[in-house]
Amino acid sequence: MKKSLPRLDSKFIVIAISVLLLLYFIVFPLLILIYDSLFVNGVFDISNYKEVYGKKVNWKALTNTVQLSLIVMVASVIITFPMAWLVGRTNLPGKKIFRTILVASYMIPPYVGAIAWVQLLNPSVGYLNDFIKFIFGLQKAPFDIYTMGGLAWVLTLFYSPFAFITISRAMEKMDPTLEEAARISGSSPLKTLWDVTLPLMMPSIVAGGLLVFIAAASCFGIPAIVGMPGNIEVMTTRIVTFVYMGDAKGIRDATALAVSMMVIANGLLFFMSWLLSHKDYTTISGKSTRPNIVELGKWKWPAFALVAGYAFIAVILPLTSIVVTSFLVSMSKGLALDNFGIDAWIPVITSSQYLESIWRSVGYGIIAACIGTILSLFVAYLSVKTKITGRSLPDLLVVLGGATPSIVIALALIITFSGNYGLNIYSTMWILIVSYLVKYMTMSVRTIAASLSQVHISLEEAALNSGASWIRTCKDIIMPLVAPSIVAGWFLIFMPSFYELTMSNLLYGADTKSIGVLLYELQTYADTQNASVLSVIILLIVLIGNVILNKVTKGKVSI
Amino acid sequence: MAELKLSHIYKKFGKVVAVGDFNIDVADGEFISFLGPSGCGKTTTLRMIAGFDKPTEGIITIGDREVSNAEKGFFLAPEKRGIGMVFQSYAVWPHMNVVDNVGYPLKIQNVPKEERLKRVMNMLELVHLKEYAERFPNQLSGGQQQRVALARALVAQPGLLLLDEPLSNLDAKLRESMRFEISAIQKELGITVIYVTHDQSEAMTMSDRIVVMSMGKVQQIGKPYDIYTNPANQMVADFIGLVNFIPAIAKGDRIFMQGSENISFPNPKQIAGNAVLAVRPENITISKTGGMVEGVMHHRFYMGDSVDYRIKVKEQFIRVIQKGSDYTAYHNGDKVFLDFENVMSFENEG
Repeated sequence: MKKSLPRLDSKFIVIAISVLLLLYFIVFPLLILIYDSLFVNGVFDISNYKEVYGKKVNWKALTNTVQLSLIVMVASVIITFPMAWLVGRTNLPGKKIFRTILVASYMIPPYVGAIAWVQLLNPSVGYLNDFIKFIFGLQKAPFDIYTMGGLAWVLTLFYSPFAFITISRAMEKMDPTLEEAARISGSSPLKTLWDVTLPLMMPSIVAGGLLVFIAAASCFGIPAIVGMPGNIEVMTTRIVTFVYMGDAKGIRDATALAVSMMVIANGLLFFMSWLLSHKDYTTISGKSTRPNIVELGKWKWPAFALVAGYAFIAVILPLTSIVVTSFLVSMSKGLALDNFGIDAWIPVITSSQYLESIWRSVGYGIIAACIGTILSLFVAYLSVKTKITGRSLPDLLVVLGGATPSIVIALALIITFSGNYGLNIYSTMWILIVSYLVKYMTMSVRTIAASLSQVHISLEEAALNSGASWIRTCKDIIMPLVAPSIVAGWFLIFMPSFYELTMSNLLYGADTKSIGVLLYELQTYADTQNASVLSVIILLIVLIGNVILNKVTKGKVSI
Repeated sequence: MAELKLSHIYKKFGKVVAVGDFNIDVADGEFISFLGPSGCGKTTTLRMIAGFDKPTEGIITIGDREVSNAEKGFFLAPEKRGIGMVFQSYAVWPHMNVVDNVGYPLKIQNVPKEERLKRVMNMLELVHLKEYAERFPNQLSGGQQQRVALARALVAQPGLLLLDEPLSNLDAKLRESMRFEISAIQKELGITVIYVTHDQSEAMTMSDRIVVMSMGKVQQIGKPYDIYTNPANQMVADFIGLVNFIPAIAKGDRIFMQGSENISFPNPKQIAGNAVLAVRPENITISKTGGMVEGVMHHRFYMGDSVDYRIKVKEQFIRVIQKGSDYTAYHNGDKVFLDFENVMSFENEG
């Protein structure tokens, strides 16, 4: 056993470095954030909380956030549960395409969705408003997007895929004979859904709902674009306003709001994982688990119309609006045939400012994805393949980062890495890249860990037994076997980093403006056509990424 | 109680015929097994009876009620057929305790709570689970979950009980005791049972009649004794029990063993040309002195109560099983003679 000592060493060094990096860039900033919100010059002082929540506007932002997130959560579950059931368990025509479309809205950046719905439903020139006015001969626009209702509408459309994915995954895993047993006991399909399917799905429904709640509460792009014009403030927009003040007091007030958000979000996530591990619904599964397809009979076409209608409204309509707007010559002339042209595209693809932003974001995404994938590989390896005490600690740290609202991460990084605690990377590209890594590594760790757990330890032992070192074994045996998941993990970091807005908006400097920030600025300065052009470019890049991801993983992973 | 009638039942998936022309009349209170290798169509047939799959052609009648008629496009939903069913995975609902699981069919029928509880407890007594009434499925063993599933299938007193490989997830000992328990319950309730299995000893010991299936086709329907002693064709002979096949040629009233023109057997089926003789290992006797054919002892497997011999006759190995005490009488390489009894004959199916 001469070899075992150096082997353990190289493993240990690599792992120790990973853990230290995670501690330094995830845990340390969050601790500093909490500390700064509670102490002033080392003295316990929570006057900031009192002051912040003493002001009506902040209190209103908190209640708005909770109210909106609750509405969005409930609406998402109510919409997606029947949708997941229809797509997964019935003879609904075209259900494969519907599944793709419903999951696809997950890959559209939320702020692009917001821009689209502003185009469709703004009270003065919204396409859809104009259309309905025309059809019914109305004098006034029937909808106003700049309201709580409008905000809840857009948030629901763009975050319900979280619930859809969670619920339909659980539905596919369920043993269909559990439902058949109810049918043969005399229960109708609808009663079976109520008595068996729904209760068995409850943990996943709650989990999916909470994911939606947290995502909606943490979202900045949609409330900034849809809420702010109507003077509707939520927690994230308040935090940004405070940070924009730029002084110490503004930052300190922001920390009070951010810590409140962090407590709510992480608390809910821990509750969720407790809930999922708590209920033991595992059952023995037999061989005859062919999918139990419910015949919809006369409801087949009404159900089709319902799902198709939703898919059209949720995905196709906003995407069409963005693309159409990008090809309008002048917004004021509306949808006339002679008003179409590439006029809005020319300034974008010829301007160095726009092009630089695009390439910059692609570059940041690539750097974040490369560093993140390597780190993910070590973290996943440690938690899946070793028996070292505390092996799942790095995994937990990564999950903590992913579970923390983006706005909170951004604030924590600002406070920690602007020189007060040694490292100063403020206004550099590195603070952006760190923020992307903190937020998005969790998906890539999950993907790689799942694939690593399929590689049996004996394959590795056989290589060590043949005389290969641990590093050599990684290179020759493990890497080739988990390569598809590594590529998948890379894209799972690259794509959201590429179009990130919330954190970039707080962290960018003069030379590091990302495409998300640029797009947000264009939209706020009412240049909706150039914003649409940029949106189309972002969507194209995301689409290409997804196609590659789908090819590499044979359809198992996508964003 | 109920009779079951399947006439000309077909199930096609596109061009693939999963079940082809299935016909059977099951009498009230009869225990029928569908036996065959996996993919033979037995589970598909059961699911058509239950109402989970629609027959492409044919009529299914339970009692005096037509439940499926492909020609008329009539198809009764599973919940309206009044059948009990036990699934291979048991399908015991994990979110309900034993009483709620078993009482569910009665709850659907709006049976008042007190009567429901009484009937559930009676059922639990029948399956020996009375003291587990309040437990949840994850607190029960596989065998106990199996009994819950059985009690749930029986509680509404259906005329027909369907069992889909109910014992295949249990360990060997439990499997054997459950066999007798299910048989006993069936006799006590007088219920009609369709039992799907790929285990021939289960089918042999429990059934009044066995339906042997292969490649979607019914090969033979008969009593266990008849199927074993008089299989309809080569497939059935091969699938049920052990058998030696010996190539032969039929001429007139006799069938001649290939290459041994002086050894022949009767030809009751009037086969012409190429034929196959089939003889079970226990119907062959070995002797040192003389017999029908000569061979060389090639190998012996001692199993305690019996010995399994391989004897080389010309180019073929013949399998013979005799009682264990004969083990020391022969040695590998010995010249031996074999006598065949109860020889069966089939047309050569290739």
